[in-house]
Amino acid sequence: MSSPCRRSVSLAVLAVLALAACDREEREPRGAPVGESGPQAIAQGSLYAGEPSPPDPRRQEYEGNAYHLAQGKQLYVWFNCNGCHSNGGGDIGPPLMDDTWIYGDSLENIFATIVQGRPNGMPSFRNKIPETQIWEIAAYVRSMSGQTPTAASPGRNDSLNAKPAEQRAPKAEPKQSNPGGPQVEGRQ
Amino acid sequence: MDVTRVCRTGAVFAMTMALLAAAPALAQDTAPTKAVPAPAASPPDDGAWAMPAKNYASTRYSELDEINAGTVRDLQVAFTFSTGVDRGQEAAPLVVGNTMYIVTPYPNRLFALDLTQPGAPVTWTFEPKPAASAQGVACCDFINRGVAFADGRVFMNTLDGQTIAVEAGTGREVWRTKLGDINKGETITMAPLVVKGKVLVGNSGGEFGVRGWLTALDAGTGKIAWKAYNTGPDSDVLIGPDYKPFYDKEKGKDLGVTTWPPNAWEIGGGTVWGWIAYDPELDLIYHGTANPGPWNPEQRPGDNKWTGGIFARNPDTGQARWFYQVVPHDLYDHDAINELILLDMPVNGTMRKTVVRPERNGYIYVLDRATGEVLSADPYAYINSSTGVDLKTGILAMVEAKAPKMGKVVRDICPTAPGSKDWNPSSFSPRTGLLYIPHMNLCMDWQSAEANYIAGTPYVGAEVRMFAGPGGHRGELSAWDPVKRAKAWSVKEDFPLWSGTLSTAGDLVFYGTMEGWFKALDARTGEELWRFKTGSGIIGQPIAYRGPDGREYVAVLSGVGGWAGAVVVGNLDPRDATAAKGFVNAVADLKDKTTKGGTLYVFALPSKR
Amino acid sequence: MTARLAAPSPSPAGRGRDPCAALGEAKLRLPPAQALLARKAWEGEGKVFPRNLALTLPLCGPLPLPPGAGEGAAPWRRAALALCPLALSACQGIQSALDPAGHQSGRIAGLWWLFLAVLAAIYALVLVLLLIAAFRSRRRRSLPPGPAFRPEEPTERRLTRGLTAWAVGTAAIVLTLTGFSYAVDRDILALGHRAELTIEVTAKQWWWQVKYDDPVPNRSFETANEIRLPVGVPVRVVLKSQDVIHSFWVPNLHGKTDLIPGRVNETVIVADREGRYRGQCAEFCGFQHANMALDVVAMPREQFDAWRESQLAPASAPSDDRSREGQRVFLTSACVMCHTVRGTTAASRVGPDLTHVAARPSLAAGTLPYSKGNLAGWIADPQRIKPGSQMPVVDLSADQLQSVLAYLDGLK
Repeated sequence: MSSPCRRSVSLAVLAVLALAACDREEREPRGAPVGESGPQAIAQGSLYAGEPSPPDPRRQEYEGNAYHLAQGKQLYVWFNCNGCHSNGGGDIGPPLMDDTWIYGDSLENIFATIVQGRPNGMPSFRNKIPETQIWEIAAYVRSMSGQTPTAASPGRNDSLNAKPAEQRAPKAEPKQSNPGGPQVEGRQ
Repeated sequence: MDVTRVCRTGAVFAMTMALLAAAPALAQDTAPTKAVPAPAASPPDDGAWAMPAKNYASTRYSELDEINAGTVRDLQVAFTFSTGVDRGQEAAPLVVGNTMYIVTPYPNRLFALDLTQPGAPVTWTFEPKPAASAQGVACCDFINRGVAFADGRVFMNTLDGQTIAVEAGTGREVWRTKLGDINKGETITMAPLVVKGKVLVGNSGGEFGVRGWLTALDAGTGKIAWKAYNTGPDSDVLIGPDYKPFYDKEKGKDLGVTTWPPNAWEIGGGTVWGWIAYDPELDLIYHGTANPGPWNPEQRPGDNKWTGGIFARNPDTGQARWFYQVVPHDLYDHDAINELILLDMPVNGTMRKTVVRPERNGYIYVLDRATGEVLSADPYAYINSSTGVDLKTGILAMVEAKAPKMGKVVRDICPTAPGSKDWNPSSFSPRTGLLYIPHMNLCMDWQSAEANYIAGTPYVGAEVRMFAGPGGHRGELSAWDPVKRAKAWSVKEDFPLWSGTLSTAGDLVFYGTMEGWFKALDARTGEELWRFKTGSGIIGQPIAYRGPDGREYVAVLSGVGGWAGAVVVGNLDPRDATAAKGFVNAVADLKDKTTKGGTLYVFALPSKR
Repeated sequence: MTARLAAPSPSPAGRGRDPCAALGEAKLRLPPAQALLARKAWEGEGKVFPRNLALTLPLCGPLPLPPGAGEGAAPWRRAALALCPLALSACQGIQSALDPAGHQSGRIAGLWWLFLAVLAAIYALVLVLLLIAAFRSRRRRSLPPGPAFRPEEPTERRLTRGLTAWAVGTAAIVLTLTGFSYAVDRDILALGHRAELTIEVTAKQWWWQVKYDDPVPNRSFETANEIRLPVGVPVRVVLKSQDVIHSFWVPNLHGKTDLIPGRVNETVIVADREGRYRGQCAEFCGFQHANMALDVVAMPREQFDAWRESQLAPASAPSDDRSREGQRVFLTSACVMCHTVRGTTAASRVGPDLTHVAARPSLAAGTLPYSKGNLAGWIADPQRIKPGSQMPVVDLSADQLQSVLAYLDGLK
C-alpha cells in the first residue's frame, strides 16, 4: 500500500473513532412508569438514627441530563414557578439561586416541597404535575445555584436575560441546612 | 410665641378652631385662588386620626401646629413600640380618644395602646389568626394598609380575605366575614372605609387572575349589603339607570364582557386594593380599580372594562354613577387605585368640585367629581410611554414604540410597572394649597410572555427589570399646585419613596425614606428642617394627633417591605434582575442600607417640665 | 385516515374514493398496561373494543389523479402517467402545491409549470447540443494527425457570435422568469389589502395555536390545529412563534412563510373552492416536526359563520354523571395545568384550548384523526404516539380515564 493510501486509511479509522463520541444524547420523554411513587429518602434535617439513608438514584438520572434540565427550565415557566421565584432571585417565594434552603437542598427535598407544598405559601402540586416533570423541575431548581454538572445545565435564556444562564451560575454551596444525607451523590 | 408653656396648648387650640371656622368662609367670600378640601368631607380637626386618610376627603392633613418650622428642630422620640412583625409596615396608626390602634402585616395583629400612660402600654391585642398559606398569594409582601374606626369598633382586614369588627374598648371580636378565597389568589390588604354604617372592602390579587370587587358590609352585623364586581355583566358591576358617565367610551351595554376575549373577564383582575374617598354632599364614594390580568396585554385585546379606572358609586346601593377609565387596555400594570383627594378649586376661572388623583402613569388627574369629566391631566414625573390625555374624549395617547410585545424586549419604558407613584398616599395642605406627592423616578425593560392561568398561582406573563430614571435619583417628593397645574418645588431622594406623606398646619411635610430616615420639610420651600433615623426603612403612613395631654404627636411605623422593599424582607437575590417583578434591580443596594423591622415611632416636642 | 374525519363538507366530486384503504393502514400498538386502561375505558362505554388498540395514521392522502386524467387526455400523457405514477403522486391531494385551491397557490403553481416547461426545454436543448458535440468530437478524433489546430477568421467570428447570442438568450430567459416571479409575488401580496378576516397562528412545539381575531374582543376565540375559512374570502394570517423557527405551509393554498420567535410575519390566503386541506410545518423544528400538521377546511360563508358562532360559546356543561365526574377529574388533575376549557377554571395556555376539542378533525396536530378511541389512546400514552411531545403520561385510573373521555368527547 502506498503511503498516501495508508494515510487516508488511518485518517478514516480515526474519523470513525471520533464518531464514536457522537453518540446521541439520551432522552427519555415518557419518564417513570405510571404508578411509581415518589422519593423515599426525604429528611428535613441532617441528623439520622443509625446510618443515613442512601441518596435517591434519580439524582444522577435527572441532574446529569441536559434534556431533563432543559425540560425543567421550560416547565418552571409554564407552571408559574417564575411567578413567585422569578428567575431564581425570588419574589413572593424565596430565591432559588442562593445558598439558603429552608426545606432542604437535595433533589428529593425539592421534589417533596413541590409535591407537598409548604405552610407559608408554597402551593402543593400533588396530582397536578406528573412525577417525571417534578423531578425535572427539581433538577432545574438545583441548576440555578450551580449544583448540577455544568455540561448538562441550560446554556441560554429565552427571556430578557435577567441573569447569566445556569451553566455559568457559580456553585453556591448550601448553607444552614443540609438534609438528604451526606454530600456525595449527584453533585459534581 | 413667647407665651408660657401652660398657655400655649390652649392658645394653639383656640387659634386652630378659629382658623377652621374662618377657612370655608374665606374661601367663599374672596375670589377663589386656592384649592380647599371638600368641606363636607373634611370636618374640623378634633385631634384624632380615625381613618388612614384622616378624613373622607383624604387630605392627610392635621390642623395641629405645635410642631412647626420654628419648633421642629427639637422634635424627639416620645415612645416606641415593637410590633413583633418584621415585614413591610404600610399601615397608618389610628388614634381615637386615648387609644392608638396599630395593625401589623400578616399575621395581622391588632394592638391597642393606652396613650394616657407613660410609654403607651398595650391595652389589648387582637390575633385574627389568618391562614398562613395566604402569604403565598400576596403579590408584594404581605402588608396591611390600616384599619378603620367607627362607632366604637375597629374594622380590620386580614391577608386571607376576612373582614373583622373588633370592639375598640375590649379587643373582643364582634363579627367576622369571609370575603376572599386564597385558593383563587384573593387576599385583602387595603384599609377599609366606613361610610354611613357600611364597611367598604375590596380584594387584592390582580397578579393571580382574580375577579376584582368592592363590597359593603353592614357595620353592625357584617352581612354583605352589596357587592360590585369590576368585570363582567352590568348586573354584576352594579351599573343601572343611575349610571351616567361623561365620556362616550364608557357607555355601552355589558362592556365588562364585550371588551374582553371570551371568558377572560372571569380572571381579569380589576381589584380594589387602594383608597376610597367619600363626598357626603354628593353622597358618592370614589374608588379606583386595579390592573387587568394578566400583565401581558396581548392576551386580553380590548379596553378591559372596568379595570384601570375610577368609579363613583352610591354608598347605599353600590350603584355606579360614573366611571372614567384612566388606562384602557392597560399595558404596564398601571393599577388605578391611588389616593383620591376631594378638593374644591378654581378651574378656568370657575369653582369646581373635583377629585384629584396622582396616577401611576405619571399624570395628575383632576376630574369633576360630580360627572367624571377630566378637567386636566398634567405629568408630574418623567413619562415616555404616553403623550397625554385628550380632554375631549378622555383618551390617553400611548407611544406605540413602547408597547410591550411578546417575545421582544421593549427597553427604557418610563414610568415602570409600579408607576411614577404607587399606593403610598399624598397629602394636601389647605394652608399652602399644595399637594405633597411621594413618588419615584424609575424606568424599565419589559418582555411579555404567555401567561398561564393556574388557580392559586401567579398570572402575570411579563418579565421586567427596573432601573433609575433620568437624573439617577430613584425617589422624589413633589409639591404640586393643583390650581396653577405646576410643581412648586421638589426634593430628590436616592431611594424610591414608598411612604405616604403627612402635612400639618405647622407648615411641615413629614415622610419617610426606605433607608429609614423620617424627615420634616418646610411645606412652602421644601427645605429639610429635621430628620431622624429609625430602625428600618419607612414605607408607612405618618399621622399627627393630639395626645391626652393636649400636645401634638407625630407617629409612623418603621419597617421596610412592600413591593419596593421585597429585596430586604424576602432576602431576595439581586443577581436576578427580574426578582420581585423587576423591582430588586432598581433597589439592589437597599440590603446594604437597611434591614427588616417593625417598630412604631412616636415623636413630640420635649415637654420640659 | 381522512375518510373517518367529520368533514363538514363532502370532498369535491371526482375524488370520492379513498386510496388509503388500498394502501393499508399504519398501526400502532400500545404497551399492554396502557392498552388495558384504554380498553377498560372503551368497554365501560358499552362498546366492543378492538383486539389491539390500533391507531390509524394519516400516512397517505387520496390517490394521485393528475389534472385531466380520465377526461380524454392525450394518449402520450396517459402513457407518461402509467410510467411514473409515483413521481406524480404529489400532483393532487389535500397536501399538494400542484393542486391549487386558492388564488396564491394557483399563481404559484402556474409559475411552477412555466418554470418547469422553460427549464425542461432548455435542459433538453443542452442535452441535444451536448450529444452533438460529443458526436462531432468523436468524428474529429478519427481524422489523421495534422498540423496544430488554428482557427480561421470566419470560424472565430461565428463562434463569438454564437456565444454572444447564447449569453444574451440565457440572460433574457433568466430576466423573463424573474419578471414572472416578481409579478406573481406582487399579485399575491396585493391580496392583503382585501383581507376580511384575520387569523393569528402561533407555532409551538409541536402544534398550532389558532386565534380568530375580531374588532369586538369577545367575538375573538381560540382553537388549535385547525383553520376554517370561508370560501373566496381573503384571510390575513398573522404568524408568530413561541419557541423555535417554524414554517407555515398549506400547499394547496399558499406558499411557505416562516414563523420566527420575536417577529410577526403575515401571509394572505384565500380558498377558491370548498374542501379540506392539510398544512404542515415546513421548517425543521425538533423531535416531532413531522407530526406538526393542521387541518384546513374551506367552507361556504354560512357554514363558516355557523361554525364561528359555535366556537364562540363556552364549553358545554357536562350532561351526565359520567362526564361530570370527568370534568372533576380534569379540573383536579394534571390536565388543568396546561389546557383551557372556557367556562371552567381551566385556563392555562401551555397546550391546546380544548373548549371544542371534540368538534375538531384531528388530535395532536394532525397525528390522529379524532375519535373517542384515538383520544383514549392519546391520553393513555401520548409518548408512544408522539414521542417527545409535551403532553406527559398522566397517572389516571381506568375509571378516571373513562370519565375524562366522556367529558372531553362532549366538548363539541
